[in-house]
Amino acid sequence: MKDQVFVVEDDSSMRNALKNLLRSVGLEARLFASAQEFLEDKRPEVPSCLILDVRLPGISGLDLQKELAKANIHIPIIFITAHGDIPMSVRAMKAGAVEFLTKPFRDQDLLDAIQASLSQDRVRRQKAGELAELEKRLQSLTPRERELLPLVVSGRSNKEVAAEIGTSEITVKVHRGNLMRKMQAATFADLLRMAAELKIPHTQRQA
Amino acid sequence: MQTPRSAYIRYGVALVFVGAALGLSLLLRSLVPDAFLIFFLSAVMLAGWFGRMGAGLFAVVVSMGLVGYYFIAPHQAFAVEVEELPYFLAFLFSAVVTSWLGSARRHAEEKQRAHLDELFEQTPEAILLVNAHDRVLRVNKEFTRMFGYTARELADRTSLDLIIPPRVRAEALQSRERLAAGQHVNLETVRTRRDGSYVDVSEVSFPVIADGKCIAYYTIFRDISERKRAFEQLQKAQAELAHLSRITTMGELASSIAHEINQPIGAIATNGNAAVRWLGQNPPHVEDAGEALECIVRDANRAAQVIGRIRSLLTKNQTAMFHLDINEVIREVLVLTREEMNRRGTAAKTDLAAYLPPVLGDRVQLQQVLLNLIMNSLDAMNAISDRPRELRIKSSRDPDSVSVQVQDSGQGWEARHSTAIFDAFFTTKKDGIGMGLTISRSIIEAHGGRLWAERAAPHGAILHFTLPIAVKFE
Repeated sequence: MKDQVFVVEDDSSMRNALKNLLRSVGLEARLFASAQEFLEDKRPEVPSCLILDVRLPGISGLDLQKELAKANIHIPIIFITAHGDIPMSVRAMKAGAVEFLTKPFRDQDLLDAIQASLSQDRVRRQKAGELAELEKRLQSLTPRERELLPLVVSGRSNKEVAAEIGTSEITVKVHRGNLMRKMQAATFADLLRMAAELKIPHTQRQA
Repeated sequence: MQTPRSAYIRYGVALVFVGAALGLSLLLRSLVPDAFLIFFLSAVMLAGWFGRMGAGLFAVVVSMGLVGYYFIAPHQAFAVEVEELPYFLAFLFSAVVTSWLGSARRHAEEKQRAHLDELFEQTPEAILLVNAHDRVLRVNKEFTRMFGYTARELADRTSLDLIIPPRVRAEALQSRERLAAGQHVNLETVRTRRDGSYVDVSEVSFPVIADGKCIAYYTIFRDISERKRAFEQLQKAQAELAHLSRITTMGELASSIAHEINQPIGAIATNGNAAVRWLGQNPPHVEDAGEALECIVRDANRAAQVIGRIRSLLTKNQTAMFHLDINEVIREVLVLTREEMNRRGTAAKTDLAAYLPPVLGDRVQLQQVLLNLIMNSLDAMNAISDRPRELRIKSSRDPDSVSVQVQDSGQGWEARHSTAIFDAFFTTKKDGIGMGLTISRSIIEAHGGRLWAERAAPHGAILHFTLPIAVKFE
């Protein structure tokens, strides 16, 4: 699917101008006159970014940014404003905006920011996809295997693990083999990386 | 004042009256023996009335002689018989009293007349009396002073020639018609003096009617040049103040207005870039570029319009009355304040009646009123955080006016301030000067409309104004 640029801008001239500009570089734009309209829209799951006017009737651009963060929507935001001040831009950037442009802006600046945002979103989506996959694999583990995982990635030997969970070394070995297979880890280093992605905590060696 | 008649005439006339009485008495003696009493008493009274006390008494003396000679025994002699004496004396007494009554009556009449003359002359307003053919009959002192003519110069000339400037001739003829129909005419108009200069007057004219016919017309003039000049100065001062207040308001709005201009300029730049890119492609996308260019033209016009509106609000112009659609005026002001509303987190809702008849008004002044009302509402809602900040603007049609309402959900004002809010220098704002509503009201009233305020339930305020529908196209 194609990348998607969302534009939330209350001024219709500016909205159409942005559409024209984006179209001229082959980008598809979806236009919204207010933050409310944008929130109500069903967004496709494709790499996207949001060009957002700071001042809007009703929910302001900065408020929308906050709302999106609260709702765990990680769309990269490029702010545009007719007269931004420094505190405003600092607030926006601190809250994670990609760029803060003052109208009239250089088109290249906007297009660069859009490209940066889209690739940022693409990477984020890819990562999120990978994580989801890993989580799926994690879910496929048996309770015993899941119990084993933190101990294994903490660097304990099969013998130590066996002692800790009160079973035989051979059983641990079988479980460990299943674990590696289900997690699709080719090497122990792979498994360690996955565990880190999944934020599986290391366990302290028992004294 | 009338000049006193000469003594010869007064005494002569007394003799004539008495002679006439004698003649009539002798003539009717055979029919009514005592009729002489009435004739002589009448003669004495008329002599007293006509020639005053002296002539009256003269008539009494002559009458006594004649009555004694002809009508009281012994006849044909000036002697009076003793038994006729009381009769004669009673007649004498009656004659004296009668002559005194006649002269007193005359005196009273003259005094009254003198009073009226005095009143006419001394009235501080100019008075003109003309006959049915507009010829001057009489004027007072103030008239000669106001218009610079002497009474002699005015005699027998028409007021139309004398004091009516050609440009209001039609109006004068029209009011003459109304006068002829027996009506009173009140006018504020202009008249010319002898030296050709103009004088602003307020005049009242009324006909003098006798036997159902207009025989003359009175006109009373009051010089209102001073009043008019003062009024014009007041108007000028008000316009000045309104202009200052506009500049102040525009100053407050400066950043929002900058935004309003920056917006189309931003769009122009962006569309320009788009057009360049369309044309830079191989092959060039001429059609898409053209579309972007059309947007540029439209936005440039929009920016120019905003600037034009601001300029008209900032320039000090003379009042210029035109037929206006009030909805259009409302929309223009909303364009200027839209950004300010965004900035303050306020949404404006409009409910404008379709097909409103035009009103006769000054566009800039009416924009200023709306600007004041909207800015007041926005200020009143600044401190509001527990409810939506809502601004409603409504226009509607009344039987013979157009009415506009501006309602907010702000803090309103205390009940005791309900009338004070229109006073000059009254303000509930920290940095207000308290002229906005005062100026707005004077503008609306100058347009023949009304502006008033009421507190809205449960919160906020409603400001109403009406403007009369322009019926005449002038």
